[in-house]
Amino acid sequence: MQKSVFRKTIEIIIFTVFIFFLFAPLLSLGIWSVALRWYWPHTLPQEIGFDYWLQALGITKSLTLGAVNVIPAFLLSLGIAIIVVIITMAIAIPAGYSLAKLKIPALLKGIILILFLLPRAFPQQPVFLNLMLMFNKIGLTGTVLGVIFVHIVVGLVFAVWITASTFSSIPPEFEEAARSVGATRLKAFFKVTLPISTPGLIASAVFVFLTSMDEFTGTFFVGLPFVTTLPMTLYSASGSNIQFASVIAILLLIPSILFMILIQKFLKAEHLGGMGG
Amino acid sequence: MGNNLKNELDVEKSEIGVGVERPRSYTNILPYMLVFPAVMVILLLYLYPFLASFWKSFISKEGALSVANYEKTLRLYRYDILFTLGVTALSTFIATVLSIIVAVYLRLSKGWLSNSIGILYRLPIFLPFVVIAQMMRSFLAPHGTMNLFLAKFNLVNIENPLQLFNWAGLTFGFVWKQAPFMILIILGGFQMIDNSYIEAARSVGAKLPQIITKILIPMNKPTILIAVTLVFCSLVGCFSFPYMLIGGKSPVTITVDIAHRVNYFGDYGVANALGVFSYIMVSLLALYYVRSMMKKGLYD
Repeated sequence: MQKSVFRKTIEIIIFTVFIFFLFAPLLSLGIWSVALRWYWPHTLPQEIGFDYWLQALGITKSLTLGAVNVIPAFLLSLGIAIIVVIITMAIAIPAGYSLAKLKIPALLKGIILILFLLPRAFPQQPVFLNLMLMFNKIGLTGTVLGVIFVHIVVGLVFAVWITASTFSSIPPEFEEAARSVGATRLKAFFKVTLPISTPGLIASAVFVFLTSMDEFTGTFFVGLPFVTTLPMTLYSASGSNIQFASVIAILLLIPSILFMILIQKFLKAEHLGGMGG
Repeated sequence: MGNNLKNELDVEKSEIGVGVERPRSYTNILPYMLVFPAVMVILLLYLYPFLASFWKSFISKEGALSVANYEKTLRLYRYDILFTLGVTALSTFIATVLSIIVAVYLRLSKGWLSNSIGILYRLPIFLPFVVIAQMMRSFLAPHGTMNLFLAKFNLVNIENPLQLFNWAGLTFGFVWKQAPFMILIILGGFQMIDNSYIEAARSVGAKLPQIITKILIPMNKPTILIAVTLVFCSLVGCFSFPYMLIGGKSPVTITVDIAHRVNYFGDYGVANALGVFSYIMVSLLALYYVRSMMKKGLYD
């Protein structure tokens, strides 16, 4: 009895510490985004309000140093992300299907798999740097198109992984059954395989969407100073105005949290193993 | 009548061609056609620039083949190279220990406390580093939330707050982001271990530390190694967080040095040499990762 009370106490202490370290940084972001006046060394701000939110969202005009209207940046990021998702999935779904379901000689398949593992294993920053030099020559540096290319590279590796693993989890008997009653390979794919794999493919698309929304390093080299996506705006606000930076950080955080709730429903832990870098 | 229909169906079936192959050429090239665009994108936009960083690191500013970039890199940045290695190793180590402890707790405990931890801990996995950078800037600053909080409990003198925009803050942020990811992978491995092993060990008198070191960790070694590898490799290449937390101060990670080399000096040779150093840092673990993923099949 005494032992179990002791155990419970320890558990609650650990739980409190855990909750503090998990949520305090997030809370700090939230407090800063509504802090109008915060004189050091007070523990909490003297005056709070949503002025910075309204200014950042372009609802009220602002003359504050480092003020930014984040709406254009948000729309730019959103537009880029949508285009990136469409192109990436159009490339990744056939590739994932081919790797998971069709016959490719072992050696070639091995080389392709290594190709898709390298970006996860090695730092990507030097790659972006040389991509920038490549893009300099063909005039893609500082353009939205260049940034879209970079985001496709970042998302594609994960998209191929997730789609391949989705397709390979479908027993081959399903498609064989469809083909045995006369469906062509194409028809079997669209009528059987695709509907079953929809959750996995959506998860993959959502993941590509988030990598594009959050992408920093590649956009930093290829996009700046002309293509200011949301993360780039956050970076430039970060040095000058902590309230604006906090507002933008929260705006970037919302899709991630939504994704987490979404992903609980239809993505298995094994898929998640490929995420989070 | 019934027979007739059956015959008709049979005829139709063979016309559509069950088991009848399409023209060979089409079936043969289909797998390659489907995978071709993805492979081309990776070859052109990943592998080519990846390999370019090796040979560009041997091209001096005058365009000649030399090791001048490496001499300069070692002269200017050897301390930063060690700093990167040190902070990454420390963060990975702390995250590993922490995540094994939490994963063991989540594996063996039941109740609302462990259930709620089991859901909440995932939060940081989905946050991008750029958000974490801003978060840690406001949390760890000398006038930040953590120092104010610690001062409230008299753990810190507010006139002399903790300075955390350095290796310590970097480690804190890295662990905050990556330990949950490691918990996820390691816990997945722990859950594959059947309860009967743990019960058998308990019945012969094994205590918790023995269950951890004799059963859970050894049986889960490959998963733990993969988690360590992924975290170490991603931290060596992490740019946004050290750039926003430490920025121009020294010492700083080599990813920040690369950005400075490019932005302020247009010095691609040294930047690429630094890049090659970051490749070398992860090379052993990266090879291990590629090999073990190939062995177990990329998506099985």
